[in-house]
Amino acid sequence: MTTDRELDEILAEIVREHRAIGAPGRLEPLLCAAAASKTNAARTPRFRLTWAAVVILLAAAAAVIWQTRSRHQPQNQQARSVPVPRVRPEPTLPSAPVAERQSVRSPSVASISAPVRRAAADRARHPDSSPQQAASNSLDEFVPLPVSEGLPPAVELSVVRIELRGSDLQQYGLQAPADSVARAMLAEFVVGEDGLPRAIRIVR
Amino acid sequence: MFERLRRRRLDGELSDDALRRAALAGSGEAMAALYRRHGGLVYRFTLQMSRNAEVAEEITQEVFLALLTQIDRFDPARGTLSTWLCGIARRQLWKYLERNESAALDFDEDTAAELPCPADGPAELLLRREAVAAVRAGMDELPPLLREVVILCALEEMTYEQAAHVLAVPVGTVRSRLHRAKARLAGLLRGEMADTERKRR
Repeated sequence: MTTDRELDEILAEIVREHRAIGAPGRLEPLLCAAAASKTNAARTPRFRLTWAAVVILLAAAAAVIWQTRSRHQPQNQQARSVPVPRVRPEPTLPSAPVAERQSVRSPSVASISAPVRRAAADRARHPDSSPQQAASNSLDEFVPLPVSEGLPPAVELSVVRIELRGSDLQQYGLQAPADSVARAMLAEFVVGEDGLPRAIRIVR
Repeated sequence: MFERLRRRRLDGELSDDALRRAALAGSGEAMAALYRRHGGLVYRFTLQMSRNAEVAEEITQEVFLALLTQIDRFDPARGTLSTWLCGIARRQLWKYLERNESAALDFDEDTAAELPCPADGPAELLLRREAVAAVRAGMDELPPLLREVVILCALEEMTYEQAAHVLAVPVGTVRSRLHRAKARLAGLLRGEMADTERKRR
């Protein structure tokens, strides 16, 4: 019995030494990292799906925007790159009396300056590019003819200068001012390669 | 200071269950608190059993990683977290012992109780230090099945029920193994005392 008691005492002493042993501190940060990384790993699939969805949505939005812009860009570029020049009347042009409008093809075309022709051509190609001007009754600049609506776009244009009366404008769908119905005036027509007029302006 | 207060709160106030849930939610601090609370027990147990600090450290790490991966196997109704962790450590230990100490595992419980004591007879403890060393050496020589009971019940002062939970054996088995282990240690101690007495004369 003495030995058993002594054994217990010795074991108690060993317990004190044993309990002084602690867990190695260097494992603590490793386990912290393991806990955090495990959670991250568990979250990763969900995060991946979320990010994939976000990326897909962004890509789809970018594609829609790009398509919309590319659809509108040519028109805008044309509208920007081809400004409508303000064409002044050319008072120095000789006025040749013309009886038949259709026959007045251009001895005078060659004599018309290049800017005038370009402006006329542009206006004829894009008759609605300046609707304000068309809406106004001013014919100082080329105005698309209402009768030319629905015609195929002309590729080759020429300008024909014609002398006519104000009342003649009605057959082209235009209303002449009351005071100029009977008055003779010099007008320029933009005519397509099909011989049909696209636009008109009154020179004087 | 706030860090220290928070650490003290984690270490002291929060229950194992709360810390475990926080650790599973990704709280490294909760994991660290659990390690500070139970790591010593696991490490001491594995160190005493394996007698190898490197192995003990490795097993301790695996045990706490298992806390993150196998926590669904923990049933609070069957035992505490510390005994559950010790049980995992024990399984890891036995795998290690089977690889390295296969001869020592050949332990027959029926004959163990009848092993003769090296020195039978009254003896007087002369040198306390030698006696402690002798008991310590005797513990190291115990078969693992007995040694683990001594470590858990005598050194870690677990109850029989707790040790039974760790060892996955009935409480009676724990009691009988502890009795046998102590008998062997007492026998060793008596032999040591007899030798010391002989030397003195």
